[in-house]
Amino acid sequence: MKHVIEGSHAISEAVKLARVDVVSGYPITPQTHIIEAISEYCANGEMKAKFIPVESEHSAMAAVVGAASTGVRTFTATSSHGLALMHEMLHWAAGARLPIVLGEVNRALGPGWNIWMDQSDSLAQRDTGWIQLYCENGQEAMDTTLFAFRLAELVNLPVMVVIDAFFVSHTFEPVAIPEQEHVDDFLPPYEPRIALDPDNPFALFQMAPPNVYMEMRQSIHRAMEHTLDIYHEVENEFDAVFHRRYGMIEEINCENADIILVTTGSATSTARQVQMDMEKQGERFGILKIKTFRPFPGKAICNALQKAKKVAVLDRNFSFGSGGIFAQEVKGALQVLSQGPVVFNYIAGLGGRDITPDIISEVYLKTRDRDLPPCGSEWLGTSPRDEN
Amino acid sequence: MESQAMIKDKPTFQGLTNNVSLYISKSHASSRINKTGSWRFARPVYENKTAPCSASCPAGNYIPKVVMHLSKENIHGAFRALIQENPFPATCGRVCFHTCESACNRGSQDQAVAFRCLERYIGDMAITENFPLDAKSLAAGNAGNIKVAILGAGPAGLSAAFFLTRLGFSCEIFESTDKAGGVMQWGIPSHRLPKSVLDHEIQRIVNMGIKIHYNHSLDAEFMTTAHHSFGAMFISPGLSVPLTMGIEGESHIHQGLQLLMDIQTKDMPLKQGRVAVIGGGNTAIDVARSLKRLGADPVIVYRRRKQDMPAFAQEIVDTEKEGIEIIELKSPVAVQKIDKGFILNLVSMAPVTEKGNDGRTRVMPVDNTPETMIFSEIYSGIGATLHDSWKADADAPESAIKLDHVDFHLKDIPFLYGGDCVNDVQSVTHAIASGKEAAIALSAYVDSGIDSVKKTVDICRLGAGKALSMEIYLQGERRLNSDHVVTDTEINLDYFTSTPRIEPGHIPLKTSVTSFKEVEKTFTREAAMAEALRCYQCGFCNECENCRIFCPEISITRQNGKKMIDLDYCKGCGVCSVECPRNAITMEEEK
Amino acid sequence: MIEIRFHGRGGQGTVLASISLAKAFFDSGYQVQTFPLFGVERRGAPVEAFLRISKSDILVRSNVYTPDHLVVMDSKLLTAIDVTRGLKKNAMILINGSEPPDDMTPFKDFKVAMVDAAAVALENGLGSRTRPIINTAMLGAFSRVMAMPDMKYIEKAILKEVPVKQDQNVAAAKQAYGAVKIMDNK
Repeated sequence: MKHVIEGSHAISEAVKLARVDVVSGYPITPQTHIIEAISEYCANGEMKAKFIPVESEHSAMAAVVGAASTGVRTFTATSSHGLALMHEMLHWAAGARLPIVLGEVNRALGPGWNIWMDQSDSLAQRDTGWIQLYCENGQEAMDTTLFAFRLAELVNLPVMVVIDAFFVSHTFEPVAIPEQEHVDDFLPPYEPRIALDPDNPFALFQMAPPNVYMEMRQSIHRAMEHTLDIYHEVENEFDAVFHRRYGMIEEINCENADIILVTTGSATSTARQVQMDMEKQGERFGILKIKTFRPFPGKAICNALQKAKKVAVLDRNFSFGSGGIFAQEVKGALQVLSQGPVVFNYIAGLGGRDITPDIISEVYLKTRDRDLPPCGSEWLGTSPRDEN
Repeated sequence: MESQAMIKDKPTFQGLTNNVSLYISKSHASSRINKTGSWRFARPVYENKTAPCSASCPAGNYIPKVVMHLSKENIHGAFRALIQENPFPATCGRVCFHTCESACNRGSQDQAVAFRCLERYIGDMAITENFPLDAKSLAAGNAGNIKVAILGAGPAGLSAAFFLTRLGFSCEIFESTDKAGGVMQWGIPSHRLPKSVLDHEIQRIVNMGIKIHYNHSLDAEFMTTAHHSFGAMFISPGLSVPLTMGIEGESHIHQGLQLLMDIQTKDMPLKQGRVAVIGGGNTAIDVARSLKRLGADPVIVYRRRKQDMPAFAQEIVDTEKEGIEIIELKSPVAVQKIDKGFILNLVSMAPVTEKGNDGRTRVMPVDNTPETMIFSEIYSGIGATLHDSWKADADAPESAIKLDHVDFHLKDIPFLYGGDCVNDVQSVTHAIASGKEAAIALSAYVDSGIDSVKKTVDICRLGAGKALSMEIYLQGERRLNSDHVVTDTEINLDYFTSTPRIEPGHIPLKTSVTSFKEVEKTFTREAAMAEALRCYQCGFCNECENCRIFCPEISITRQNGKKMIDLDYCKGCGVCSVECPRNAITMEEEK
Repeated sequence: MIEIRFHGRGGQGTVLASISLAKAFFDSGYQVQTFPLFGVERRGAPVEAFLRISKSDILVRSNVYTPDHLVVMDSKLLTAIDVTRGLKKNAMILINGSEPPDDMTPFKDFKVAMVDAAAVALENGLGSRTRPIINTAMLGAFSRVMAMPDMKYIEKAILKEVPVKQDQNVAAAKQAYGAVKIMDNK
């Protein structure tokens, strides 16, 4: 049944339905609503989880790392500076191969102080060994959170469920909240392969000298590759119960499209509308939505884009001194093609700047009207404000 | 929104298993396979050492242990540790001149720990709450019930009885007066030692099964026939005969000791006017302060300087606080009676460079013209000597074994002399030392003959000094302590922040100088605990656990309440020894 | 698709009003989307919230720039900020206030409806004179002037969203429904 709820609470509801055992968290805008609701569920008995209040995000992750090491299902959530503070423990969670699920609300990093939408925080954690799943709306946030627990526990990797600040997190919209029994059908109790046990003591995560460390890293890589292999099977399971699926990527009217826009998060949704509106005006482009950033589904993306002439990657993030991060990854994926499409990279929507239908149109029109992209990334909607 | 890029595959509901590569550091093995202790060239050893307070205490009180118990609010334990070495904690806690505090290592950081007051606190608690004597830990010997006659129920005689009884001797005390306690009873005024406290501590000893014959002077015949009835004698007659000055008109001078005794036994008339007290020892002080309480205006006249007075320093300070003048460097030469009192003729003295045979400052008259002062009464408080009847007897023959606090004469039976007639310092605590030394010496003699006496006494020394320990004689754990006396530089001051000494204070001066009420107050429980916590507990492991916490090899464990060092892994780094706040861990080189 | 912009003050329940209205519309068969325009909040500062309603899926997830209608929770905001920016012609502006603005010229292209929601709230015991709780009254007035959603959905939404004084809140909505007036601003 559908309820009008906000994106943050879609994640909170999913965590409750997933029968999570231990939750820790520290408030930070715009994530706070997620943890706030869960702490209420724990306090009023709706959830049987142990809620561990802590003094920082680093400790929040450390708390769930400790809990997950004992073989229980865990969750925490954060944003921006909080995620940055967690950085060290993110490495730990992945290196320890703990299936922790993290709700991450994309928010810019300061200074200038900014509480709004920006992907820099989660993308900065690219190399920590976490699976990253980006969501377009409240329903996808709900579904992806449930999905994340199943996936994490199958591949022994932590999963970050990423939603846009405000455009998803604080936006109320109809979301189908599944029945508990259906969730239980999809998500069996967690059966850990490794769990600390006082009755059978052993050492975990101790010194890994050069003769084993590299193999451990390779094992994480294998688990990421395995994730790519089984992703669709897990989606099959999900689909069978809930009748929804999202894919690691989604191709929206890409067949025979000369121009394909590559989008992530809530901008995809707006792009869908623009695509429909422009089609009425005789303009045609495809949209490739990337949901899974890690593992990066390069082969699938390559397949989706290889027939296009031009690809326009819309990045709501920026790697200083280089370019938009999704564009870099897409370009990398297309390198296997001898005659691949030209890749344009547009930067928009940083720090909560709105990505309006007009911006999407501009991305399309600028790509349509030029044969080659300008050198580097193109920043949209900025005005010259260099001088203080 | 199904992805078209997705590979179409049939659902595998049972197919998904968690068989992904999972290689992490996980092991049942341990780095303990490497027995790194083989690297060690020195090993830590738990070794309690001697605290300077204990070494300097004539009674050999185990002060760090007493304070350790007190600081953990175990007052029973503190009392047990005290009574092991000293039968008079409440008394000593009042009248002892506390060499422990002069020796206290804490003195070099801020101020010495107020142990005398802590001792009093524990002693008083034992009285008010009637702590039992722990017979098991105290009575440890069986000397075949050899009967010992003890002459004099002063602190030495009572202590001898206390320790001898514990060692299995059967004691009878012969006391010439009608009360036990000796100088504690009639020489120390009530404002310093309430008699109820003393009586309780005496009764505690008597209750061990000691018979006291009161009003029973021993004559020469008794001494020669004692061997028929007794196996040994302990003789502590005390110094009962006041010294004389040999000056003109000395008969006009009252004996201070007699005054002190009269105050204890009679209703004294009130005094008035200026009264002179001649002397510089504790007797003079006690006489002057007692006169003040009787209404007089006493003045102490002393032939040397104030700093040369043999009286205990704190007593001098307290005396002056009470408004009693001390006239120094004046020596009496004559007394004349006049209508309204007495004229005291005094000559002025001055110190000379060379010291006397006793090591004290010598003074010489500077002007033979006497000055005169008029007093309503004059008292002498210059000390006392042994009664003539004992003098010949007590003079030690060549054959006598001279111990620190006892002369051991072997006649038909052993005759042991102790107390003031032997000790170079006349104090209650030294008298206790005599009683303890006599008990150890006699017990050693009975067990192993005369040759063993000195050797045995030596074994019982604390820090190789004069103080003896009954616990060591009884083979208690204290015998394992090293003789090394801990110095202030061996204390880890990181663990002791500077905090001022706490003292219980005095009752208001107005009240104290008009009555014989006890002047000094006692600690509250909180204050006692706080002051106990100031004590370093030098050289004494109080189970603070620092060694275990700091050991980088986790080699120190606690098993059945005892700490163990796992030498398989102890690398001998010495961190435990350094982090021990109180030098209770010694690093010993590996052989 | 209809886009509605709310203008209010921080602490006035503007966001809650838009959420309640969204739920009422959802119940009545619309797809809905509502979210606040987040600033660095301060009680009493101007705030905005957006509400989109549509019979089909709502895909656009950007702010509302050209609203079809306005809800102004405090008439004093009319002079403080440019509430009509981007407003489509013939839009309905629902204003909480006891008196219409002195100068109606800025609103000549629009329809203006006034309701003294503060008075209605106070009559129903909602809040105090210094801080009346007006959002439920505004919902009732909205239902009347827009002819949607039906009052029964408003009532249902209030019962679901408002945890206290539910009867008074429903009564306020109904009273405002009757009290709201469309101004002649020609």
